[in-house]
Amino acid sequence: MDKEEDPRNGVGNGTTTKKPRLSGFITDSEVQSEFSHHEAGVARINNGSFGCCPGSVLAAQRSWQLCFLQQPDHFYFSVLRPNLLRSRALVQTLINADHIDEVSLVDNATTAAAIVLQQIGRRFSHHQNDAVVMFSCAFPAVKKSIQAYVTHAGGSVIEVDLPFPVKSNTEVITEFRKGLSKAKSGGRKVRLAIIDHITSMPSVLIPVRELVKICREEGVDQVFVDAAHAIGSVPVDVQQIGADFYVSNLYKWFFAPPSVAFLYCRRSNASSSEIHHPVVSHEYGNGLPIESSWIGTRDYTPQLVVPAITDFVNRFEGGSEGIMRRNHVQVLKMGKMLAEAWGTSLGSPPEMCASMVMVGLPSKLCISSDDDAMRLRSHLREKYGVEVPIYYRAPKNGEGECEPKDKDGLITGYARISHQVYNRIDDYFKFRDAINRIVLEEDLY
Amino acid sequence: MASNHLNGDSHILHHPKKPKLSSTSTSLITPSEIQSEFCHHDPSVARINNGSFGSCPTSVIKAQQVLQLEFLRQPDHFYFNCLKEGILKSRTVIKQLINARHVDEVSIVDNATTAAAIVLQRIAWAFAEGRFDKGDVAIMLHYAYGAVKKSVEAYVTRAGGCVIEVQMPFPVNSNDEIIHEFRKALERGKENGRKIRLAVIDHITSMPCVVIPVKELVKICREEGVDQVFVDAAHAIGCTDVDMQDIAADFYTSNLHKWFFCPPSIAFLYSRSSPKCLDLHHPVVSHEYGNGLAMESAWIGTRDYSAQLVVPKVLDFVNRFEGGIEGIKKMNHDNAVEMGQMLAKAWGTNLGCPPEMCASMIMVGLPASLAISSDSDTLKLRAHLRENFGVEVPLYYRAPKDGEVGVITGYARISYQVYNKFEDYTKFRDAINKLVCDGFSCNLLSI
Repeated sequence: MDKEEDPRNGVGNGTTTKKPRLSGFITDSEVQSEFSHHEAGVARINNGSFGCCPGSVLAAQRSWQLCFLQQPDHFYFSVLRPNLLRSRALVQTLINADHIDEVSLVDNATTAAAIVLQQIGRRFSHHQNDAVVMFSCAFPAVKKSIQAYVTHAGGSVIEVDLPFPVKSNTEVITEFRKGLSKAKSGGRKVRLAIIDHITSMPSVLIPVRELVKICREEGVDQVFVDAAHAIGSVPVDVQQIGADFYVSNLYKWFFAPPSVAFLYCRRSNASSSEIHHPVVSHEYGNGLPIESSWIGTRDYTPQLVVPAITDFVNRFEGGSEGIMRRNHVQVLKMGKMLAEAWGTSLGSPPEMCASMVMVGLPSKLCISSDDDAMRLRSHLREKYGVEVPIYYRAPKNGEGECEPKDKDGLITGYARISHQVYNRIDDYFKFRDAINRIVLEEDLY
Repeated sequence: MASNHLNGDSHILHHPKKPKLSSTSTSLITPSEIQSEFCHHDPSVARINNGSFGSCPTSVIKAQQVLQLEFLRQPDHFYFNCLKEGILKSRTVIKQLINARHVDEVSIVDNATTAAAIVLQRIAWAFAEGRFDKGDVAIMLHYAYGAVKKSVEAYVTRAGGCVIEVQMPFPVNSNDEIIHEFRKALERGKENGRKIRLAVIDHITSMPCVVIPVKELVKICREEGVDQVFVDAAHAIGCTDVDMQDIAADFYTSNLHKWFFCPPSIAFLYSRSSPKCLDLHHPVVSHEYGNGLAMESAWIGTRDYSAQLVVPKVLDFVNRFEGGIEGIKKMNHDNAVEMGQMLAKAWGTNLGCPPEMCASMIMVGLPASLAISSDSDTLKLRAHLRENFGVEVPLYYRAPKDGEVGVITGYARISYQVYNKFEDYTKFRDAINKLVCDGFSCNLLSI
């Protein structure tokens, strides 16, 4: 956070050792202290992949872990369940779910995808003509899950292309409508649409509410929103969004330790009694939230720290909303700064990004494959101390005028930069300078 | 035998020998170092239930915290450069421990419950795809773990399979009794030309706790044409002998957090390299789907894998004991039997099985006057012991059979692990004696 612009810092410090606080909000140095376990010297601009967890939440987690180790039977019989319920209740409020029974806690979005897809897959058979629709840039793990549970069971999979770079929601909606028509062609029934709330690579904020409405209009059976990045990144109102299933990871943008996610399952969904956790234990048949609360002996502490997280988040001005707003403003500011410095452009307009943005990389880097992107990423990590994921965007044939370009050629690489509360402007300067050096010195990677 | 200076009285328990003063090799762990390693255990509790949730020494917890911090520091670097090789290292240690032929046969998963889901899911697919006929059979023990029974219901019954339970005597007097019942169940399974697709056999049953002659049962399965055998050995590693060549099952799982000092939670699933064992998948599908179960299980999305990475450090801990894990197993067994016999004598009851049919846990009959007459009685009495006497021990209700009069209906499953002391068992002995003396009966417990 740029110190001069941060209104949370006191003005005119005078002679006191403490900065006069206008309010009780967390200070800049307290924020840095909370993340002091992050490796120094690394420009950590990839919060999107693995998230982050502040020291005070880690301390709360340790406390729970110790409680279990001290007397695990007591923990199992008297401590675990009521505190899982407490976490679920907080999540219910956070996402505006109608009823706490709709909220389950699972490890991560990958697990949630398996749960939803297993249920769909059970209903497929090789004799029917059923289809599932998803974005072509759906998270690779989710694609594999679809392969395992849908294709394996005889369902067809229709992919919707995501235009990228993208200029407006209209472009996404148009592509989606096309994809749905294709899926329904030949008398197929679309059993499930999987829609990302924020795609991973390339990262774009999708107009989910509109897409869910279109799905209902077009007679899609079930809609599953994979919102791995959403919570803590954009406001989440599951009733407004209207999907049957909605999952988001709390450890990405909501400061949970690895790992915990919530899976929302709308009660009115006819198949909600068919939803099961694949790891079957004592609670089988008692509803997904209860099944998920015990899947054998393991460390459930990430699921217990939600109260500690809300305490942390409420130390910030505006709480979670304030954090989201500031992350959004900063990431755009940094994205624009980088694009200007490199003579490139952003991958999406401001309203189609949250706390991450895709920044075009200089064409002179000659990124021409996924391997190139991965190698550049490793090079940035090892030689320049910058952690940022790189995306290879293959040129489209015959697009000519519409292709992203800089003064030297086609832009084929984008960096997905993140902004979270621990980031400083220097992180982005470091990245800017690293790329400039690589280009200037023709530093092979 | 070195005298046990931990105990107030003169009773001598089998303990690791004191290090020799002249030893030039790394010295053995001392009794006070052991207590120190488990100093986070609630000191007011006689913790004689290692079987349920296991235990983890401080040095292993510390090693785990180092790994957790490494991830938090720079997760991308951890993911790309550290995780895979760390998991492979753990798998290699386990492969050696269990005498598997190849590390590819060893996958690491959260717990035996997860392993059961993996094995059974494959069965469900076979039914769904018509490779198995509706009505084909899965056999399991009547005393199979509750969660596993539910998994069998979810994946086998629901897919159209037929489940047959092997009745088991308890108290039990010999392996022959178990083998006899097993053969009977196999016959029932094969009636009407049905095919037995899977036998699920516990290595050490949970409740009531008995060591099952798995090697013999696996052999019988092969003789009788059972397709595949899955041994649920949740308790086995660190408790009894675990040798994949000797037992020769198709699938074998055991939790390392119960008796092998790992933090919660980690288990291995052994899957014999054979054409019949292909198509085993982790239900949580991620990037590694199709690359073999071991690879799939090594990445099932972002989570804390530190419990799976700490196995080499656990081996270091275990090797501080004389005889390593073998020494610990023997010591635990001898002590569990001795404590069980002490309690049975003090209460005028009996043990649930002969010493050779138990490992580090043993079932001890509770006085009949306690009037345990249901499963819920055992839960309530267990809570009563926990809350009012500071004793943690699981209890089992053994329903009287037709015609039985005045039998023992309640058993306690006592465990012995390296941190246990003689006082833990005398505390339990005295608690029960007091209850009996006070005329306590389960009828008096509130609903």
